Parts: sequence; C-alpha cells; structure tokens
Amino acid sequence: MSGTLSIPGTYLLVGHPNVGKSVLFHRLTGAYVNVSNYPGTTVEVTRASARFDRDAALLDTPGVLSLPSRSDDERTTVRALLNEPTRALLQVGDAKNLRRTLTLTALLAELNVPLVLALNMHDEAAARGVTIDLKALSEELGVPVEATVATDGKGVGALTRHLADARAPRRFLQYDKAIDVDIEQVAAAITEHCPHPVLAARGLAILFLGGDDEVAAWMRDKAGQNFAHLVALRQAARNRVEGDLPTLLARERTEAADVLATSVVSRSVKSSPLLSQRVGQAVVHPVWGLPILLAVLYLIYEFVGVFGATTLVGLLEEDLFEGVLNPAVTQFIEAIAPASWVSELLVGQYGLWTMGMTYALALILPIVTTFFLAFGVLEDSGYLPRLSVIANRLFAAIGLNGRAVLPMVLGLGCVTMATLTTRILHSPRERLITTFLLALAIPCSAQLGVVLGMLGSLSFKAVLIWALAMVGVLMLTGFLASRLIPGRRIPLVTEMPPMRLPIFGNVLKKTAGRLKWYLVEVIPLFLVGTFLMFSLDKLGVLPAIIRAGEPLVSGWLGLPPEASAAFVMGFLRRDFGATGLFAMSASLSPIQAVVGMITITLFIPCFASLMMMVKEQGLKTAATMVALIVPFAFLVGGLFNIALRALW
Amino acid sequence: MSNDTPTSDHQALVPLAFISPGSEVRLASLGDEIDPHQREQLTAYGLAENRPLTVLQQRPMTVILAEEVELALEHSVARHVWVRR
Repeated sequence: MSGTLSIPGTYLLVGHPNVGKSVLFHRLTGAYVNVSNYPGTTVEVTRASARFDRDAALLDTPGVLSLPSRSDDERTTVRALLNEPTRALLQVGDAKNLRRTLTLTALLAELNVPLVLALNMHDEAAARGVTIDLKALSEELGVPVEATVATDGKGVGALTRHLADARAPRRFLQYDKAIDVDIEQVAAAITEHCPHPVLAARGLAILFLGGDDEVAAWMRDKAGQNFAHLVALRQAARNRVEGDLPTLLARERTEAADVLATSVVSRSVKSSPLLSQRVGQAVVHPVWGLPILLAVLYLIYEFVGVFGATTLVGLLEEDLFEGVLNPAVTQFIEAIAPASWVSELLVGQYGLWTMGMTYALALILPIVTTFFLAFGVLEDSGYLPRLSVIANRLFAAIGLNGRAVLPMVLGLGCVTMATLTTRILHSPRERLITTFLLALAIPCSAQLGVVLGMLGSLSFKAVLIWALAMVGVLMLTGFLASRLIPGRRIPLVTEMPPMRLPIFGNVLKKTAGRLKWYLVEVIPLFLVGTFLMFSLDKLGVLPAIIRAGEPLVSGWLGLPPEASAAFVMGFLRRDFGATGLFAMSASLSPIQAVVGMITITLFIPCFASLMMMVKEQGLKTAATMVALIVPFAFLVGGLFNIALRALW
Repeated sequence: MSNDTPTSDHQALVPLAFISPGSEVRLASLGDEIDPHQREQLTAYGLAENRPLTVLQQRPMTVILAEEVELALEHSVARHVWVRR
C-alpha cells in the first residue's frame, strides 16, 4: 500500500471475507487478482485504474470480519481507510446475510464517507428463499443499494452508475447515551488534535474506543504529545462502563443491524437443504469426512503425480526434449559455437539449455501446471475451509488450530505465497509456528511433483515412507515448537462458505496467472543456478565440494558423492535440488532415492520464500529458522538412511 | 456479557456443545470464558442474543447454521455458548 495521498480520488472496495470483492474488482478494473472460495484469499491491497473512471483508482482490500481491526489483514484495510484520499466506499456484502453486512455498514456510516452498497451473491440468497426489499433498504440507509452476482456480471453496470450518486449513509444507530457522551468527547479531541482529511472524527473515535491499534497508531503519529489526552479519555470511558467497552459497542451495532435487516428481509420456507449444503455437510461428516478426504488426495495424486509427473513429463522430457529438441539444439550449437566452452555452457552437462531450460520446461512445468489446475478446483469448491474442520484435532497437537491448514495447503502450491498468507492467523505465535513448519516440511508444487514423479515410479511404498516422514517431522517439530514458543492456543471458530461448482474459466485464469509467475520467477533462477553449477565445475570448485561433502552425503546419507551437487543446487531452490536428484535417479537405489528426497524436502526453503520469511518475521527469526533447518534436514535424512537399511 | 445462570424466564440455559444435531435453539449469551477477541468474532458472525441457530453436527466440531451461514466451533468454545431450547 502506498500510504500517501498522491492519487486524487480512490474508490475502496470493503466488506467481509469471501463476499466476492475480488471478483467485483476484476469486473470494475479488468485487473485480475486471485479469487477463491475461502476467507482470506486477499491479504494485501491491490490497486488498479477503474474502468468507469480512468482518473480514479480502485482498491481491493482484505476482508474484515469486523471493525475495529484485530488481525493483520483487517489492519491492512484500516490503513487503506486512513491513508487513501477516499472518494467513495463500495461496500460488498453477502445478500444471504444482510445482518452481518449492516453491522459493518453501521460503523462505516459513522466515518461519513460516500458509500454504495452491493449485495452480492444475490442468486444464492434467492435459492435459499431470502428476499431483500432493496428500495426500502436504500431509503433507510440513504445510499444506493444494488443486488449483484459478480461472477456473471449481473448488476455490475448498475452498480457503476450508482457510484456517481454515492452519499454518506444515514446513521441508523444511536449508541447508549452514556457511551455516546464518551464518543463525542473523544471525537472533539480528535477534531482538535488530529483531524482526518476524509474520515469523520466520530467514526475514528468509535474505532479508537473499540481498541483499533491501527487507528491508535495513526492518532499517535498525528497528535504527538496530545495523544496522551486521547488515551486518558479512552481509559476514563472504559472505567465508566460496566463490562468490556469494545464488546458493548459491537453489540449495539449488531442489534441495530438486526432491527434494520428484519424490516427489509423476508424468507420463504425452504422445503429441503440445497445440494450444495448436503455436500458441504458430508465433507465434514464424522464418518464420511475422512474417506472423502482420502478420495480427494488420491485424485490429486493420480492427476499430478501420475498424469502430470509421469505421463506428461515422459512425453515432454523423454520424447520431446531428449528425443528431438536437445539433440537438434546440441548439434546446432556445436556447429556454430566459437569455442568449446561456449557449447558446454549452453548444451553441456551443466548447460543452460540442457540443464536449466530442460529442468524448468520439461520436468517442472507439466507438474506445476497439473498441480495448479487441481489446486484451483479445490480452492473454488469451498473444500479448503472444511479441511480446516477435519484437520483441527491434528493441528491442536502442534499448538495450532485448523485454520493453519490453509497456509499449509497453499504451501503445497508455493511456500512463498503461503508464508504471506500466515497473516490470516490470529496470533504472532501461530504465525511463527506455521512459518517455521512451512519452511521445514511443506514441499512446494514443483518439489512435490518431482518427489511424486521420482518415488511414484519406484513404488507406492517409497511415496508412503516419504509422506509419513514429512507428517512425522511436521508433527514432532510442531509439537516441540508449540511447547517452546510461549503463548496459548486459540480454539477454532470458522465460517464455512457454501460448496460451489468451480467455474472453469476462473480456474484457468488462476492457473495461467500462477504459471506466468512460475515462468518469470523460476526460469531465471534455474538459469542462474545452472550457470553457477557450470562455473563451479569449470573452476574445479564443484569437484572439491563433492569431495568435501562426501562424509556427509555418502557417509551419513548413503548417497553417491555426486548428490552433493544437488544439495548445492538446493540452496538456490529446493525443487532445483530435487530435480538434480531426479535427473540422477537411474543411478540411485530405492533407499537412496527416498533418503535423498526426504533430505532435500526438509532442506533450506527457496530464496524467494526466504525473503518472504525475513519480511514477515524479521531477519533474526528467519536466520534462526535456517540455522535450525539445514542441520536438521541432514540429521533426519541420515536417521532414515540407517533405519531403512536395517528394515527395507 | 456473561449470563451463565438461568434467567428470569425460568428456562434452563444449556451449552451449545450439548445440543443434538438437527435441533433449533436460540442464543442466550456468550460466556466470559471465551476469549474477548473471539467473542467479538462470534458477534461479528451474527451470534447475538435471541438469534435462532440450527445445530448441524457435533463431531468433529460443533457446526451450526446461523441465518444462512455455516459456522464451525471447537467444543471448548461451544461449551461456553449458552442457548435456550
């Protein structure tokens, strides 16, 4: 987020999580941001020019469960409210749950900013027998209200036209008189010491009294030494009320929203639950939940591990690259290369084409493509939040709750993005444990595909040993981390969005976006890595590293000495290292393959995720994690080498 | 906010965690044992006094339907959500 007031006029999309803000953002700007069927998809703001007004910017903000802000993503939204030159708010709400939408409206109304209300997923509300009197609601609020179905564009045109009529909503709540006196006192102090150019002092006072840290930080910055006076006023207000002031404020907003919603919503009696509701309940059923999970995992294995990593890789790597492209490119380069080292650099053992591009395009690309497709279907179906319910008990053992399953599963796509997504977790302790486990034991899609491809071609037993090793390490280290890191576990309370049939176009768009990211990020790194390997080889350093690593790699892990090169590659990206082992799989025994894959999976996370760890957790914590992870990876690999040689 | 004892209408309050699946109940109060932030979260999800809730299942977690929203609550939380049959 910019944090500046440089762009004249910004429209802010705000609303609860998973109500369709990002889909609407795409409709209104043409810019695509990741859209999924679970709360917390957006954890940062995204800015783009509005289609309806090229001079104005539109901002997609992370969903807020409630304001005042409590979580990192909610704080991001409040920062946007505080720092943007807001022309109007576009509040997006779930038409199925008007009460909740209006609870947020009650607070936004106090900020006195022009607003338009979009009641999205109107089709789902209608299917459930929910009818809203939009005209009456618009009159009560004094702002335009439009029913939308953002996924197919219904109501979006009218919504755009309404933006010209955006007005500050009418307040529909009178707080308790005693509390209202406190609000007005704080508002007067804000007007005196730190007036906001856009937001009304009264709204800021309510957020401040409700304990919003982001608003407090902004006020401290603007009011300077007078901030102490504001804090004193807040403390006096807290002392005066019976009970918890933020809770009382929130309750009054909820009650007012309830009254208004009741007056405009009518419900017809439903004959029976919808199919999507039945499916949604079946996947978290105490008996059926687990078999369904196993079936889902099996389908993913078949699609990614067998079809992607075996069939497609076979077609691309063996038939296309090894059979046709590489011989032709090699012949061509050798014919025109001015010196032998040039042809070695391009098509030799560590050649930019024969190693870098072949690894990236023939080995990894088909695997990540199939993974991203499967993952996109899962994301849009609404299955992932339900997975957090099924996995909750397991996560309780490692001091987390089932909510952590979301970043963990996202980590199977990309650990870098998943590290950013830990922001949806509620406490710093949860974020720390989850970030550590992501860095240690969660393989990203590319690496996962390589593992499945390599071990899957050996035997199911090999895949199972590797999977059990990862789960065992995850549980053991998580258990220890939860005992060592101070703080308590937060029990799970989560919303489960409706199960939906994924929209194929959205899955394809997401996959294309992720593949673009993959090609832009991974190919240069693979080429740099290959060049590094080539240089180390030519300078005679690589043979020295291989010799130096022999006691560890051959003695302790039981791998061929050349495997040291794969670990050197792994420092750049774990999947690059894993691919290095994959490429030498013909010379590895089953035990060596399993041990190698266990070690490289636990090995240091890729450079991009390392940078994200530094960004989210700070340099010191990230460095400590790496210092723990690297020796631990070799320790576990060696122990498995000993155990498997004794038991295989 | 805590009303952990029966109130003047002489109707017993029971923890949400004890309600059989399929039953419809009304929310009475959220106990003080629930973390304040989580209480706010529950209020934001729409769990306010006198709201009707349908219990969908109790295992592995308490799952309720509040309006048209499905919520899953751990038993350690559902034990302190007091409801009236």
